[in-house]
Amino acid sequence: MKLLIVEDQPKTGQYLRQGLTEAGFNTELVADGTTGQHLALTGDYDLLILDVMLPGRTGWQILQAVRSAGLEIPVLFLTARDAVEDRVHGLELGADDYLVKPFAFSELLARVRSLLRRGSSTLQETSLHLADLRLDLIRRRVERSNQRIDLTAKEFALLEMLLRRQGEVLPKSLIASQVWDMNFDSDTNIIEVAIRRLRLKIDDGFPNKLIHTVRGMGYVLEERFS
Amino acid sequence: MKRISLASRLALLFAGCTAVVSLLAGVLFSQASEKHFIELDQQLLDSKLMALRSALQDADTPALFAQRVAALTDELSHQPDLSVRINAADGQRWFDSSPSIPAQLPATPGLHSLQNAGTNYRVYNAPLNPGKPGSAQLVLMLDITHHQHFLQRMQHLIWLTVGLSAVATALLGAWAARSGLRPLRRMTEVASRVRAHSLTQRLPQEQMPAELAELAQAFNAMFSRLDDAFQRLSAFSADIAHELRTPLSNLLTQTQVILTHPRPLEDYREALHSNLEELQWMAQLVNDMLYLAKADHGLLNPRREPLALANEVDALLEFFAPLAEDAQVNLLRDGSASTAGDRSMLRRAFSNLLDNAVRFTPPGGEVRVRISENTQGVTLSVENTGSGIPQGLLPKLFDRFYRVDPARHEGSSEHAGLGLAITQSIVRAHGGRIFCESQPGWTRFVIELPKGG
Repeated sequence: MKLLIVEDQPKTGQYLRQGLTEAGFNTELVADGTTGQHLALTGDYDLLILDVMLPGRTGWQILQAVRSAGLEIPVLFLTARDAVEDRVHGLELGADDYLVKPFAFSELLARVRSLLRRGSSTLQETSLHLADLRLDLIRRRVERSNQRIDLTAKEFALLEMLLRRQGEVLPKSLIASQVWDMNFDSDTNIIEVAIRRLRLKIDDGFPNKLIHTVRGMGYVLEERFS
Repeated sequence: MKRISLASRLALLFAGCTAVVSLLAGVLFSQASEKHFIELDQQLLDSKLMALRSALQDADTPALFAQRVAALTDELSHQPDLSVRINAADGQRWFDSSPSIPAQLPATPGLHSLQNAGTNYRVYNAPLNPGKPGSAQLVLMLDITHHQHFLQRMQHLIWLTVGLSAVATALLGAWAARSGLRPLRRMTEVASRVRAHSLTQRLPQEQMPAELAELAQAFNAMFSRLDDAFQRLSAFSADIAHELRTPLSNLLTQTQVILTHPRPLEDYREALHSNLEELQWMAQLVNDMLYLAKADHGLLNPRREPLALANEVDALLEFFAPLAEDAQVNLLRDGSASTAGDRSMLRRAFSNLLDNAVRFTPPGGEVRVRISENTQGVTLSVENTGSGIPQGLLPKLFDRFYRVDPARHEGSSEHAGLGLAITQSIVRAHGGRIFCESQPGWTRFVIELPKGG
């Protein structure tokens, strides 16, 4: 997966490139709009991450050029401005997502993965699993080590999300948005509590834990061998 | 354009009024005296006519008339202001008492005014023998110069009066206006003394005249609002500094301590995690403050989508279910209503209330959301059981950074104390209001939204 970041603030740009590269993406970084637009139009990228305010060409101008060239690459905007008109303007021009600074890197990573996944065809899976954990999507049943586990509807949805995106760190805001459709800034600790309750059912009593907390970033479902 | 002061404007208006009034009086007076003089002249000329007619009785022919000319001249010599012309019926001139009589005189019968060689005359035409056809015509000319002199003097006097009274009222008016406007100048003085640090200045409302009392009251109310807003702003800035100082000093200290000595990798990881928590807390604080700043500038423009409040509340109660179960609190909803509003904004507002309610409800208690609708709008209340909030604290609940529990920022999950302020901003952006009621045993937050959002 090849990503292009156009960001003029050197520190932000460097960290974004490092973070995304370490997450397994082939990442290129440029600091000015003119070069950014040239690369966006000629390089074969899977995703563009654009800052709005850039020297040369603004992020919006780059987006316009890309769309009028008939390219359907997903575009994610980063901006320090949080005016609703800006957001609307960006989405009207054909942006796919929008993140307002300051944002958490885990949030960016989760959104990048969502955007990249959108293009690929999702197989109609009938079940999901990790290690000895099995989730039957048709019968809506969960088993671990062949023991049936009873989950509430939301717990099931939460576990399904964790399983579908196993190995990814999922920020709390993304979980709230995807599982409960709560799309607002919130400093409640509901997600912590919900994860703790899910853990009691999934991991309690099993030696190898599957749900892990990544402090300050979110939660990840994966098998860890100590 | 140069602007005229209020006092000068009033003085000029006064002067104008006086001038118009005295001019009008003068014009009326001079017209009345003119009319009066005409009447006097008519009477005088009538009596002269009678005397002449009797003196010239039967002098119908030039011959007869010639016999009486001596007597007529004698008679007229006693009256220097009267001249007489006698014409025969065929227009032939019989007699002119004075050579200064102009050749052409008004021909119609009756009284006329005439000016000749700088002198004013009253001219009176009448037949000598009114009964007889073909009678000779008498023309009497009365010198009325003295009347005209009188009238001219009158007119001068009138103009003088108009001028003097206008000047006098202008001066008096200016003085009156200046002293009348003194309270206004006082207001200006007070207003010009107001500075950011002296917003407590107030106008003496009781000493103001009735017309200005209202203005003074409005001014004082404005000063109060400014003072209030300024106090809040100052407190807000101080609070921001205070709120950020704690996490910043944690970050600084911890980072410096960690970097002082080489350590095992795990310690660095731990320090970074701890920093991350502080940073996230700060980012959340900054985002919340930006949100409030936007609300303050009227930039929070909620969308107006139709919302079934019961559905929204149910979704939120489902979201809060794990938290409530954990805290052994029952979540309940009564009633339903529909409104128009911004879904995610209202969800955020309600979620702050629910979060507070769940946190302050003791185990075994309940949080009940009531929704109702009347002609004015919709009401949503979030009520929880618990010890209640002291009455004195209720108005402060919606202040920024206010916490009922004064222990600040203990751990990353602790709230910054902006939740209720944000809720209030959202409700206000929807044109509604929010208040809190509390008694020992329960606390209730009530949101009232206007009909249709």
